[in-house]
Amino acid sequence: MNASSPTAPRSEVGPIAPPIIEGAPIIARNVSKWYGDVVAVSDVSFSVEPGVTALLGPNGAGKSTMLEMLTGLLHPSAGTIEILGKPVRGDESLYSSVGLVPEQEHIYPFMTGREFLTLNAALQKLPDPEEAAQRALEVVELVKDGDRPLRGYSKGMRQRAKIAAAIVHDPQIILMDEPLTGTDPLQRSRMMELIRKLGREGKTVLISSHVLDEVERVADRILVIVNGKLAAAGDFRAIRDKIDEHARGVRIRAADARGLAGALIQEHTTVAIRLEPGSNGGQPTIIAETADVRAFYTAVPAVAQRANIRLYEVSAVDDSLASVFAYVVGR
Amino acid sequence: MSALTRSLFLTFPILILTLRQFSSGKAIRVVALFALAPVLFTVIYLIDPSVQTGRAWFDQLFRTILVPTILPLATVILATNALGNELEDRTLVYLVLKPIRRSRIIIEKYAAVVQSTWITLIIGAAIAWVMANRGDAVDNLDMLAAAVLAMLVGVLTYGALFLALSLIIPRALVAGIIYILIWETLLGRLIPGAQLLSIQHYVQSVYSRLLSDPEFQVSNALRFPSAMLAISILIAFALLFATMRLRAMDLE
Repeated sequence: MNASSPTAPRSEVGPIAPPIIEGAPIIARNVSKWYGDVVAVSDVSFSVEPGVTALLGPNGAGKSTMLEMLTGLLHPSAGTIEILGKPVRGDESLYSSVGLVPEQEHIYPFMTGREFLTLNAALQKLPDPEEAAQRALEVVELVKDGDRPLRGYSKGMRQRAKIAAAIVHDPQIILMDEPLTGTDPLQRSRMMELIRKLGREGKTVLISSHVLDEVERVADRILVIVNGKLAAAGDFRAIRDKIDEHARGVRIRAADARGLAGALIQEHTTVAIRLEPGSNGGQPTIIAETADVRAFYTAVPAVAQRANIRLYEVSAVDDSLASVFAYVVGR
Repeated sequence: MSALTRSLFLTFPILILTLRQFSSGKAIRVVALFALAPVLFTVIYLIDPSVQTGRAWFDQLFRTILVPTILPLATVILATNALGNELEDRTLVYLVLKPIRRSRIIIEKYAAVVQSTWITLIIGAAIAWVMANRGDAVDNLDMLAAAVLAMLVGVLTYGALFLALSLIIPRALVAGIIYILIWETLLGRLIPGAQLLSIQHYVQSVYSRLLSDPEFQVSNALRFPSAMLAISILIAFALLFATMRLRAMDLE
């Protein structure tokens, strides 16, 4: 069986790029970074205002390079970066207003979580580093494990320790490189709430991610970066609406794939359906395309229940994010 | 953490961090093995101690093994480890993104290198000294004191040089070992002119001056003031360069 219906023609969507807002806490002007012949970031300009902004892009898009330039770890090959109105490099005092959650996992394995945070607080010249460390442990809910060596922490706990280190000095600007990686669903939910809270408090939070749904839950504004170029920037909802116009793939495994496919094709949110052969002659896998992912995810269990078909898996097709980015940039 | 360590940690966090990095890593164990090499050589000497006095043996051991080989090798291991490892595993981010001067990072890292290397070398040298001199060990302390202070000068100089080197090239340890073996050990012995630019000869000069024993003076040592001037310039230049390099470099 290969049921399908015509896919709506894709509307052309150009970049949504608001002008740089002078006086914004973070301003990047015509920033590029290249390594020999390889261009990592190409002529990117944007500003980031207080609240939560997401730097969204597929893996290898240039997000980490951009964040490293914003923190002064990397020199731009061209262009300028201003943090709180000052050039990011050359003035170490600026770092009392900036916190970074780096992407790499490695943190001093011989230190306890509390010592690690005390180190960060002491280097921030806080009047009572130990008190600040205790507060940060409480914020990320690591008090119970605070006196354990970091080498025994799970990936999610290390992520939380890194977040705590970035906020131990209550900075005005917080940059986070894939901060939710490795956290379990409960931790992820709590970290998202923390990020939203920081945004509500007026902090300027820039969070990089390649997970669209993750970003949707925390950010008000997004910067979409693809192949080192700024593809879109602005209000999340406006860009989301355009993303939602694009058909996205959903993988479904069920006890009776053909029966479920026949039922799903009746749904108005279904754009197309195809069946991929199952392994060892088992049930085929349904690959559905939908123009409204959220409605589709709600519809699938209801349809399966009505048809009395057991569901095994409903998940996004792996390459769907890349196709979303391609769609947003109009390629 | 004891009250003293806690207080030091809050005052010199990078120094204490680096000392703990050393104590939990493999490098310090390798340095300890190097530091114990004089003990092994002294055991061999004790098989037939009638050949020379314990004092003459220790002087020879210091000049021909400790200064030209063990001291620089032990120092290069920890000096290139101090910042090199943090660059490699990217934990340096946690130090540089702080409102502190780059010079403070360099100085505290340098202090940790000097402290760890010097103390480890002293332990090996002191054990060798006691074994070689046995009953006369206390009476001959002037030589041990001169050696300990000269080693400090050597560790200070090599430490600054190799710390700076670790910020220039990725394989600083290998480059440092090649430099020690070719320049300090081989050319420094064979070519008289190379001695003017050889740290081991500066250290020999300091040792001779501190010892003030006419029996154990060497003719090819630089004059003490020249050696101290060269050492001071080298240390200042290396630490300044390391600070500037840390400020300018990309940290990926």
